[in-house]
Amino acid sequence: MSYCVHCGVELHETSKFCPLCNTPVVNPRSPLIPDEKKPFAPKKGQVDRVRHSDMAILLSVVLGSTGLSCGILNFFIFHDSFWSFYIIGACILLWVFCIPFLIYTKLPWFLSIIFDGMALVLYCGIISFSHPGNGWFVGLAIPIILLITVLFLIFVFLLITFRTSVLSTSIYLFMEIGFLCTGIEMLIHQYFEEKIYVTWSAIVFICCSIIVISLFTIIRRSRLREAVRRRMHI
Amino acid sequence: MEKKATIKQEKKLWFKLDLSANVYPTLQRKNFSSVFRLSVLLKSEIDPVLLQQAVDETLPRFPTFQVAIRKGLFWRYLEKNTRPGPYVQPDISNPCMPMPFRANNRYLIRIYYYDRRISLEAHHSLADGSGGMFLLQTITAVYLRLQGHSISNTAYVLDIHQAPNNEELEDAYVRYASSKVCPKRTQERAYRVRGTSEPFYTLNIICGVLSVKEITQVSKSYGASITEYLNAVLLYALLEKQKREHPYKLRPVKLALPVNLRRFFPSKTLRNFISMVYPTIDPRLGQYSFEEILSQVHYYMRYYITDKFLNGDITTNVKTQQHPLIRIVPLFIKDMIVKQFYTRIQDKQSSAGLTNMGALPVPKEMAPFIERFDIYMGQPFSARTNCAIGSFEDVLTINFASSIIEADIEQLFFKKLVKDGIHVRIESNRV
Repeated sequence: MSYCVHCGVELHETSKFCPLCNTPVVNPRSPLIPDEKKPFAPKKGQVDRVRHSDMAILLSVVLGSTGLSCGILNFFIFHDSFWSFYIIGACILLWVFCIPFLIYTKLPWFLSIIFDGMALVLYCGIISFSHPGNGWFVGLAIPIILLITVLFLIFVFLLITFRTSVLSTSIYLFMEIGFLCTGIEMLIHQYFEEKIYVTWSAIVFICCSIIVISLFTIIRRSRLREAVRRRMHI
Repeated sequence: MEKKATIKQEKKLWFKLDLSANVYPTLQRKNFSSVFRLSVLLKSEIDPVLLQQAVDETLPRFPTFQVAIRKGLFWRYLEKNTRPGPYVQPDISNPCMPMPFRANNRYLIRIYYYDRRISLEAHHSLADGSGGMFLLQTITAVYLRLQGHSISNTAYVLDIHQAPNNEELEDAYVRYASSKVCPKRTQERAYRVRGTSEPFYTLNIICGVLSVKEITQVSKSYGASITEYLNAVLLYALLEKQKREHPYKLRPVKLALPVNLRRFFPSKTLRNFISMVYPTIDPRLGQYSFEEILSQVHYYMRYYITDKFLNGDITTNVKTQQHPLIRIVPLFIKDMIVKQFYTRIQDKQSSAGLTNMGALPVPKEMAPFIERFDIYMGQPFSARTNCAIGSFEDVLTINFASSIIEADIEQLFFKKLVKDGIHVRIESNRV
């Protein structure tokens, strides 16, 4: 039985320090009894995980059966075109989008974004299979999807790694919009005229840069930031 | 035919959430649930097999605890839960951890055992402390009966062979709200404790064990009751803490004190039946000595905690809930509004929570097996500390539950008790 020299309260036999003030217990007359049962259970509990398996099964069955029945209809009855490919592709797309929410929640975020990008490429591939055109799939669709995926990866990375507020999130957003527009215009010119140059997207880029710079200034200046918070609070 | 009818009736069993229970599920987050814990410390080690048997036998008597919560279009509701469980489990060091509605077979109660202790955790949307105490004491009584002792059905122990009484399942607020005027609900913003938040759902418990005789003597010497005295000590600790922080602007210090309405309205309900009062000290008026704080708390409680004022408070809430415009708003919009109201106004109205369940009666035959009761108010919604008090025979326990690392409120509180000559023994789950 020891007392805290600072707080004057009696402490439990197993306490190595006072829980109120963290003063260590030094009492040669009554040493700690480590085998004594502690007043609280030592093991930490974990919150039970919610199981999404019912929803996941339901979703997989609904999407799978839709795709399958459309495929069968197309193959045996209405076989003048490959229309069922669009539906099967859409089902796959939806299923892949739902993976991180329902099917495998432990999937790392970057993998799920990459999978989403791949599913988009697949869907565009299905469209290009029916309408080959003049190589738009390889020349335009794949690079644009790649660009969007990379930008989205960067956006999520920034949100996860740095402290976020409404202001910083909008900085990232405007930066991304600037790069996205410029990238898309360059890819379009490259595809149609085999030359890389920018026109309208330069204006978008400049506007976005101005917004980003002013937002950045607001963030850095605490007085400005507080003024904006006061005037804009909801 | 008759059997079919009863089965149908059983299947149809569902409950509306009671008035204050409607708030708690809207505050549910991934890292927060309004869960409270009651525990009883017996004199011999707990046998988990017998305890499980006791729980299985007791729970059918308490239909409002054997439920799952579900969303309707306009309101949430409780539905009879027929899944297996709830199962007793070994205790953990972080009590009152979040309780996702869809985990644990959808049960909203948990029962733990550790050494000589049985603990019951319940989501606040099912019941308040008194309702939970009925379940805990009945489980304990059934457990002791299984060990071969004979325990009568008195105090908080209900007869498990009786059918549940309708009055136990009712929403007592609606029945007793009869005031003709509705007092305003919002108050001034209070001082808020600032501290460093603990990492993901750690709950720090500091438990003080006192002698009832000693504390009665001290509070009598001040001319107050135990509740008034402890309220004043907590207010004193919060005022000291605010003073030490040298704030730019002082704020009034307020406690959120739930009052058990069963004391004023003769209801037997096992569900929520509490109302909040807010004892306040305003340091902007000048510096208060401890005696002044105590006399203010004393007169505040005598003045406000009467059936008339409490009736006004619950009528305001009942009128709001029953307003036709509010009823037809879809649930998700209600959720957003209630959550905003709670985080922006209600939560900022008090500096700390304090609840006193008072002296807990037990059946005469059960008393020799019990050492003490512990009440935990659970994880606070914002970074602060909550305090819960209960006593059994000569043992009074004060349990602080906080989600912040600093323990200076607790230190100021217990130091004041020690200074007043009360012997305090501290137990904690901080390691």
